[in-house]
Amino acid sequence: MRVGVFLGNSLDGSGIDLDSVAKYAQNLPSVEYVRVLGTKPKLDPTTLAWEIRQQRLDRIVLAGDSPGRFKPAFSRALASAGSNPDEVQLASFREHGVGTGREALERAKAIVACGVHAVPFTLVAEPQSAAVNQATLVIGAGIAGIQAALEIADAGKKVYLVERSATIGGHMAMFDKTFPTLDCSACILTPKMVAVGDHDMIELLTLSEVTEISGAPGAFRAKVLKHARRVEIDNCIACNLCTEICPISTLSEFDSNLTHRKAIYIPFPQAVPNVYVVDPDTCTWTLTDGKKCGACLKKCPKDCIKLDEKDEVVELEVGNIVLATGYELFDAKKVEGYGYGKHHNVLTSLEFERMTNAAGPTGGKIVLKTPKLNKRTKVEEWVAQPNGPAPRSVAIIHCVGSRDAKYNPYCSRVCCMYSLKFAHLVREKLPEATCHEFYIDMRAFGKGYEEFMERIKAEGTRVVRGRTASVCEANGQMVVRGEDILQDKVVEFPVDMVILAVGVIPAPGTQELAAKLGLPRDPDGWFAELNYNGEPTQTQRGGIFVAGMCQGPKDIPDTVAQASAVAAGVLRSISSGHNAEDLSKLGLSEIEARANKLEATLSFAE
Amino acid sequence: MPTRVNPKLVTELERYGAEDVQKCYHCGNCSAVCVHSDALYSFPRKSMRLLQMGLERRILTSLDPWLCYYCGQCSTQCPRGAEPGATMMSLRRWLTGRYDFTGISRLFYRSWKAELLAIVLLGLATAAGFLAWGFAHGDFAAYDGPNAFLSSSDIHIFDWAMAAVLTALLLINTIRMWWFTLGSDKQLRVPLRTYLRKLLLLPTHFFSQRRYALCEKKRPWVIHLALMLSYMTMMVLVMGFVRLLQSGPEIEWAVHGFGYAASFGLLVGIAWFVRARIKQAEPHVQHSHESDWIFLVLLLLVTATGVTQHILHRAGEPLAANVTYVVHLSLVVPMLVLEVPFSKWSHMAYRPLAMYLSEVRREAIARREAAAPAKANLVPRAA
Repeated sequence: MRVGVFLGNSLDGSGIDLDSVAKYAQNLPSVEYVRVLGTKPKLDPTTLAWEIRQQRLDRIVLAGDSPGRFKPAFSRALASAGSNPDEVQLASFREHGVGTGREALERAKAIVACGVHAVPFTLVAEPQSAAVNQATLVIGAGIAGIQAALEIADAGKKVYLVERSATIGGHMAMFDKTFPTLDCSACILTPKMVAVGDHDMIELLTLSEVTEISGAPGAFRAKVLKHARRVEIDNCIACNLCTEICPISTLSEFDSNLTHRKAIYIPFPQAVPNVYVVDPDTCTWTLTDGKKCGACLKKCPKDCIKLDEKDEVVELEVGNIVLATGYELFDAKKVEGYGYGKHHNVLTSLEFERMTNAAGPTGGKIVLKTPKLNKRTKVEEWVAQPNGPAPRSVAIIHCVGSRDAKYNPYCSRVCCMYSLKFAHLVREKLPEATCHEFYIDMRAFGKGYEEFMERIKAEGTRVVRGRTASVCEANGQMVVRGEDILQDKVVEFPVDMVILAVGVIPAPGTQELAAKLGLPRDPDGWFAELNYNGEPTQTQRGGIFVAGMCQGPKDIPDTVAQASAVAAGVLRSISSGHNAEDLSKLGLSEIEARANKLEATLSFAE
Repeated sequence: MPTRVNPKLVTELERYGAEDVQKCYHCGNCSAVCVHSDALYSFPRKSMRLLQMGLERRILTSLDPWLCYYCGQCSTQCPRGAEPGATMMSLRRWLTGRYDFTGISRLFYRSWKAELLAIVLLGLATAAGFLAWGFAHGDFAAYDGPNAFLSSSDIHIFDWAMAAVLTALLLINTIRMWWFTLGSDKQLRVPLRTYLRKLLLLPTHFFSQRRYALCEKKRPWVIHLALMLSYMTMMVLVMGFVRLLQSGPEIEWAVHGFGYAASFGLLVGIAWFVRARIKQAEPHVQHSHESDWIFLVLLLLVTATGVTQHILHRAGEPLAANVTYVVHLSLVVPMLVLEVPFSKWSHMAYRPLAMYLSEVRREAIARREAAAPAKANLVPRAA
């Protein structure tokens, strides 16, 4: 077998030095001829055929960024040179995740070596025998983490579920309804949360963060920092006496700052674990090192409040890791035209979710925010109160921060549908109020979504195709201005409440976690999956999986589906005792040896 | 009625300075941020749409591009980087080309080399003509007085003759503009009364450019207005008082006072525009077409030579003053003859006219709607 290696890029901006790859390729066995084509070369099959005949080549390896573009020319040249036109092997750098830097060059060389042996690069990294620890670490306990943890634990395998906040449930616990079925979000989620809390195979670590991960696939070691809850999980009976006596009140994060909570509190009544928590940043006792207050200590009937509890570090040994860190909302303040933070009744989607949630601060009533004096700080805070006035007209603005070259170029995928759901809730709860939706394109792509949109339109929501440019306030009346592009008209509507369909961005800490794990991220910041179509749950590192929003925007059904798929991957690894080898850790010589061996097996199979 | 579609319209517009038109995904953000955009005249998105669809006739009959003063808010706020502001500017150039019946304008906008060549040739011809005339009728060493190389009375006659020709050319083009935008609209009958009642809008918009002042940024309006008023002052002086301007050596403050103020205004205005177009700090100066630069440079050279000949004359250098004067004239003539009817300068007629016609049209539509309520819209509102 005489192999010819041609190196060329069909795209600009390659970070790989083709010449040094060429030098490497020359020394590979059975490589007889190497030529560098450069970037975007012009290829003439006749000259190539002459070249192939001259060198008596019977296999061509095309290496570079997207070299598939050159394949037709080489196939034709091989055919006219009298060789097998199928003997063109692609060694695609960019497609196999070659970035820049020294490591990238090594990777590129490895890809070329595999091409020379006519072995798919991904095959080289096939599972190898390694002992796999049966326990799994799941980072993030939103719906994705909960689903994956339950699936794995139900199969009888140990799961450590690490959650940063005081309760599991994530964003889904804040939602009122799900689209398009209008099911109660909590009715789906809370049984799963309780199952997690009760499960023998799940060890729940709330208020915890993964600080360090070492080891190899199948045998990872993780350090987890457990922040002090200051209330004993096993003894607290959630009697609420401590909250009643606590004199400190501050804005409630779980309720999107629409209302107040105490310094010792429970995020919401169905929280898991159903145990109170002390906020050390507002609690007088912790702020004064125990010199003041301590009222709750005296009230607690179980003596389970330990205000002097310290943070601790837990070490875990696991075989697989599931990333389910989710997302946060795009900061709507960045879009100045909408006046979020300036006009009090411009709400983000999450704020509206909490307001319309029956367990929320207004008991599910849609009201305008009104000022309330914070007795401690003497500052007037705008909060949603159950007796607040109802809005007469509501505008919902789509694509806030999404599909915008200035902020996020991508579509956040959930906003269209939740906006339609909001419109339904407004029309249902306030039949007198008018509701306008401003959208660019209505992305109702899922099962039953299009029908849901038609239903919302039929309910009397006025859907305006066109993006709103601004929300301004004149004489206490907010006015939204936009273009109704189906009518070619600029329109202005007076409104009492504006809901911004804010897009999603990776959760805070995603970047740090990716760095700790050595995982690449997409240009948009999400964790990069191994292969978008084929391996959407795996990452470049073996034994590390991604589920839910942290891999890219997706709705609840897709998140749950992906989380279950992740569980399948984890269980496969555990039950087979194999684990995908860490591709980035394989040395060049090892890849060469493996490719050589695989070539022998493959040709034998033929 | 059949609709003619020009599938290459966007490509054609690129010659006139349009960029990235195809990026637009019609969110309507630009129209909504524009203070000039309202229920009747909604732009720039609508213009972007017509362009993408190649509806040439709809653009030709539209006044929208002239209602935009290019503050650049639309381009700044555009989520796609589709440059709606630059597109509106290129549409104004394209429309100028279409209003012009000679076709010269289209040639100039599409080829700056042609424009430059025409300027050079006309400049040389002018220089030759004035030199021949001067040597035949005057003394090369005399700037003013009875033996002046170029006597002010001759220049005066020349000025008025040129003004008459330019006015005629511009008038034909403005009539074409009226015909395209209002006259040919068979569905809209505009009574003469409406035209008369709104007539005052023409001088108002010409002298105040008050719609420009509505834009988000005020400074471009101030600079533009100052430049334009300086130029108008200078033009009145040249057209009416060229004899006094050219007399000497003592300074006629009644005339020269205005002249100095106007020259100062011109120089400062031009300097500001040149600096802004080089620095490209604001959106409306980021996309300079070749015609923008030719116009600016011509105006700068005309002003500079005008000021220089005046200084040389007062400094007692009649010979040098005469040379500069000939150079000045051979810049002025191409600037006026080529720029006023055929290039950037024609906007001094089209823009106020568009303001006027748009209001006439608005009233005519209001009258029609009052007489017969509008039929149900063909496009059903999504409800």
